[in-house]
Amino acid sequence: MQRDIRKWLMKAHDKGNDNASTNAEKKPPPTEPKSETPGRGGQEGSGRRKTSKYFSANKQKQKGDEEVEDLPAKRKAQNDGVQSVKAPPSKKVCKVDDDEEDDDFSVPKKKNDASPSKKLKSSSGRGIAKKSVDFNESDEDDVKNIESPLKSGGRGRGGRGVSGAPGGGRGRGGGRGGFMNFGERKDPPHKGEKEVPEGAPNCLAGLTFVISGTLDSLEREEAEDLIKRHGGRITGSVSKKTSYLLCDEDIEGRKSSKAKELGTPFLTEDGLFDKIRSSKNLKAQAREDPKVPVEKVTSLPKKSPQKADLKTHKDLAAGSQLAKQKNQAIQHSSLTWTEKYRPKVPNEMIGNQSLVTQLHNWLKNWNEQFHDAGNKGKGKKQNDSTAKKAVLLSGPPGIGKTTSAKLVSKMLGFQAIEVAYFLYKFVELSVNASDNRGKADAKIFKGISGSNANCIKELISNEALGFDMDRSKHLKTVLIMDEVDGMSAGDRGGVADLIASIKISKIPIICICNDRYSQKLKSLVNYCLLLSFRKPTKQQMSKRLIQVANAEGLKVNEIALEELAERVNGDMRMALNQLQYMSLSMSVINYDDVRQRLQESAKDEDISPFTAVDKLFGFSGGKLRMDERIGLSMSDPDLVPLLIQAFVSGSVPKLLFCSVLEYVKDAKLKAEGEADSVICQENYINYRPGSIGKDDNGMKRMRLIARAAESIADGDIINVQIRRYRQWQLSQAGSLSSCIIPAALLHGSRETLEQGERNFNRFGGWLGKNSTVGKNLRLLEDLHVHLLASRESNLGRETLRLDYITVLLKQLTDPLRMLPKDEAVEKVVEFMNVYSISQEDMDTIVELSKFQGHGNPLDGIPSTVKAALTRAYKDENKSRMVRAADLVALPGKKKALKKRVAAILEPTDDGLREENGDALAESEEENSSDTEDMEGTGNGEKLQSELQSLNSKGIQVEVELKSGKEKSKATGRGKGGSASTEKKPAGRGRGGSGSSEKPGAKRKR
Amino acid sequence: MLWVDKYRPKTLDQVIVHQEIAENLKKLVTEQDCPHLLFYGPSGSGKKTLIMALLRQIFGISAEKVKVENRTWKIDAGSRTIDLELTTLSSTNHVELSPSDAGFQDRYIVQEIIKEMAKNRPIDTKGRKGYKVLVLNEVDKLSREAQHSLRRTMEKYSASCRLILCCNSSSKVTEAIRSRCLNVRINAPKEDQIVKVLEFIGKKEGLQLPPGFAARIADKSNRSLRRAILSFETCRVQQYPFSSNQAIPPMDWEEYVSEICSDMMREQSPKRLFQVRGKLYELLINCIPPEIILKKLLSELLKKLDEELKHEVCHWAAYYEHRMRMGQKAIFHLEAFVAKFMSIYKGFLIETFG
Repeated sequence: MQRDIRKWLMKAHDKGNDNASTNAEKKPPPTEPKSETPGRGGQEGSGRRKTSKYFSANKQKQKGDEEVEDLPAKRKAQNDGVQSVKAPPSKKVCKVDDDEEDDDFSVPKKKNDASPSKKLKSSSGRGIAKKSVDFNESDEDDVKNIESPLKSGGRGRGGRGVSGAPGGGRGRGGGRGGFMNFGERKDPPHKGEKEVPEGAPNCLAGLTFVISGTLDSLEREEAEDLIKRHGGRITGSVSKKTSYLLCDEDIEGRKSSKAKELGTPFLTEDGLFDKIRSSKNLKAQAREDPKVPVEKVTSLPKKSPQKADLKTHKDLAAGSQLAKQKNQAIQHSSLTWTEKYRPKVPNEMIGNQSLVTQLHNWLKNWNEQFHDAGNKGKGKKQNDSTAKKAVLLSGPPGIGKTTSAKLVSKMLGFQAIEVAYFLYKFVELSVNASDNRGKADAKIFKGISGSNANCIKELISNEALGFDMDRSKHLKTVLIMDEVDGMSAGDRGGVADLIASIKISKIPIICICNDRYSQKLKSLVNYCLLLSFRKPTKQQMSKRLIQVANAEGLKVNEIALEELAERVNGDMRMALNQLQYMSLSMSVINYDDVRQRLQESAKDEDISPFTAVDKLFGFSGGKLRMDERIGLSMSDPDLVPLLIQAFVSGSVPKLLFCSVLEYVKDAKLKAEGEADSVICQENYINYRPGSIGKDDNGMKRMRLIARAAESIADGDIINVQIRRYRQWQLSQAGSLSSCIIPAALLHGSRETLEQGERNFNRFGGWLGKNSTVGKNLRLLEDLHVHLLASRESNLGRETLRLDYITVLLKQLTDPLRMLPKDEAVEKVVEFMNVYSISQEDMDTIVELSKFQGHGNPLDGIPSTVKAALTRAYKDENKSRMVRAADLVALPGKKKALKKRVAAILEPTDDGLREENGDALAESEEENSSDTEDMEGTGNGEKLQSELQSLNSKGIQVEVELKSGKEKSKATGRGKGGSASTEKKPAGRGRGGSGSSEKPGAKRKR
Repeated sequence: MLWVDKYRPKTLDQVIVHQEIAENLKKLVTEQDCPHLLFYGPSGSGKKTLIMALLRQIFGISAEKVKVENRTWKIDAGSRTIDLELTTLSSTNHVELSPSDAGFQDRYIVQEIIKEMAKNRPIDTKGRKGYKVLVLNEVDKLSREAQHSLRRTMEKYSASCRLILCCNSSSKVTEAIRSRCLNVRINAPKEDQIVKVLEFIGKKEGLQLPPGFAARIADKSNRSLRRAILSFETCRVQQYPFSSNQAIPPMDWEEYVSEICSDMMREQSPKRLFQVRGKLYELLINCIPPEIILKKLLSELLKKLDEELKHEVCHWAAYYEHRMRMGQKAIFHLEAFVAKFMSIYKGFLIETFG
């Protein structure tokens, strides 16, 4: 009979709680503090556990035990407060489920319990109903929670200081997985040393945890998993609803201070374990009580209306709706759930309420805005240009765009004519959407009905139909064009036609599409009021799903539904479909079922290479199946490996960005295949493999890294086979070795290698680097050609780089540093002339000799000397022997010459040039360089002066060669124009003005 | 002008180092028809010099009147056309080119361009040899396909054209090609030979060489005559009256490689690996060929490594070098080598020192 009493007590407690929920948050009814004290007293006693899992038992005991320690009481109070606030809505929903579940599963579960702690991972029978918010249980949990700290004595909250040996700076704990992890979370000090307990699946139900800092033996992800598995909830930051702050040491972070402020109790890892362990025993006991479930089931009908009342939902209508639905459900109608539970009134829509209202208003005002005006004049005047005649709903599939369109029009008494893509055929549109895309068809229609007349046109222009009906029968029409983005690219005319229709339309048109930014719809967007639907949150979705599940008599707990909502990625339709499917085979659905089911048929979503790499290397990367991994690495087979290899700190360099674009173009030519491995290669070092356990000196990690590196290199070799010899059948092997093996070896938590680096997968540096290498090679080749052209040397490119450049650099820069200015300049220019080294080549030489961490080879050369050198080199230009073809500027060519003309020009004759113009030009140059000397900004300034003179020269040369024809133009060119007929066999890059861009680009590095 | 170029022997008679070979070559071309030739030997040993001198011997002074041409060739390769840009150095009687510049498309160069060049007889044959010469550089870098295509060209057009092939290692030239050529091995000059050349230059330039200075340069040069002369000149630029203990400046990139090497020796951690990767990129960006990097890296490592590890590290270097040639992205393989080394070395350190 104790049980009965318990039952009674429990109910009383429930009620009390319900009441409390309204008023008390920090001040729970006096019974509450009592309730936990006995828990504390009797916690270790197995007797208590034996008695029951229900709260009432504790209560009985506690009566004697009034001594309440201040702190625990307070914590408890808070807890209950939180509980009471949160619990009611969910409780009602799930209670039945849980009770029944107890019923159904009591046998298998007992078995499970009988052999506790044998398995660490939950087997089929357990871990069910992870997050169900069963009130009873949660209460009981509270008790346990309290007891655990005490029981564990030193280990408990008092023990925090003890266990936290490594002490402060154990990671800041905030924003897990965030972008800006400055500090690294350290490994748990006793990683993997403790046995992770198995508890009753729902033992943590209703509790909300926040994890802070490093735990004693669990990685954070493991802890989250554990809590979720037992029905608890994890949130990112401490709030009033938080039941516990899980941390093993007080690191004085934001979380802990907030928790102290709010009085949230702290819980250690051991405390958590105890709690879970103890739950099992309790659970086992509870099974002995067959009566309870029965009684609870009876209480179900009573409760459901109550729930409706309590709901914070705007519309109370939904509740009654639900009741109706429930009745229908019993009749087992053959309708799919998506149809059956389609919202019947706009308020029932999940999420996007404001958009629905907007749509509603738009439709309501449509007539006033357009129709009446048109009515009066009969001339279809549109007096309000700002208002749009059509509306475009956009958003991902399955979130209720069509439904809301229909509902709103229905509500406003419009007759909706829906033209979905499959209907287009019947309606014989010239608007050819998805399945009717043949232009030919359109033409036929056009042929039949004339260019403008088709059903839609008729529809929208037919006043008799639209308007008169409206008048007489109050039946207005609205045209819903579904899936307008389904019009294929060939049907641009379709969209144009649609726009034309909108312009002349006398009825409102609602267009629906998935991707509003689609190219096809670009023009349409201008004519429509844009309403972008967003995915409903998982809470919103799960709320609705619960209603549905209840109506169908399905037992699902909230956590499972939330999981479902998350998995389908906001697609309500899909969620319902999945739910219906699952309901065929089972009447009780819990967390693991949902997970399992959706893993098989997860909704395909676009994964960026970054996400893919994240997943591959992430904590749970090891649990992925092989085909999933291949899928991930193939998400962009060119990019993921690249990532696995570079976003170094801060912003993405522009150069990198350009090269990515370049690369993407390139990739299109090469088809896909290596980006994965590059990303992979960039990033694999950063991962600290979770699989190695303790690793004192990093030896294991180093070994794994070596293996991963080799595997990535394997991938490169395979890639060559794929591309060069078209062995495409190897592509899976390629992704296997370039991504999956490294990922399998090293998955774990990411860490930063450099101070201030963002803890985020870098983008492959390889792309940028590769393009720089390519560019430098081209420059080197230019230099090489020039040297060859000088006929002084006959060297290969490689020898040039390896052996010559050092000496060339010395010859070019050392005199500038050591000798007096004039002498030095003379010497260097002479040297340059001998080897046909242009100034660009000199820059190349300097550029190629730069090494990170070493000084710039040009350091120590005064800028005046540099300027003098430039000037001297240019003066020499006039009498220079030009040997290399590309040193000749050709007229009118702005771009580099594709084919360089072979030519050896003799020194050019200076007779042509006008003394006057030359002097002018020179003084100009001097001016500019002098002013810049004063600025004295070293290198940049030289660059600028060079650029400037280049510009002028480019123009000059051009002008010179064109001078015969267009002299007038020359003067118009400004600056350079004065020196119009100066002959300059330009010593520059690849000719003419084109070269002026080049040095700039080159020096960007 | 740099001394390397200034004192480069122009004719076979002027050759100092490989006099014997020069004699033979001279006899070969004067007495009878010249066969295809394959010159091989380490860099800086004088292959190119000998080839140029040989050409001059065959064609006279006109062989020196070269022009540089950078042409784009359009090649029809089945379904698509390929644009290839190629720099050639040509005189009336010879064309010099490096087909391996085209990367893996080199076979098109061999199949189309070289064939085209080889097909045409020189127009003016009076008083001259009835053939022209194609000088192909870096034959060892040609892909297997390209080398196979080369075989046929060598046979078919031998009447109008002679090939002179030049490479560092004959082992990377296929057997078939080697057997079609007269192989000429050019050894790296001995150190005393280098010293002789340096002293010769010193005399010509009127420099005072402190005793032993030339020997030191020769020692540092790794038996590359070019390297020796270049660093000789660098020393001259740096400080003229030579002092006998003057430092001989290393090449910039070699310095950098040894920096990397000491990085690797000092610490073996993911972080260090990351830094090393950055430095390797730096080298690659500065156009240092990856094979050279790996080779230099290995030799630097061997200097510092303990005996028992040398063999293993050599093995892995060879392993990764081979793979690098098969692959495309050199950095992957370089990094793999570095990672491998770090893991081996770390293991070794832990074993020995605990």
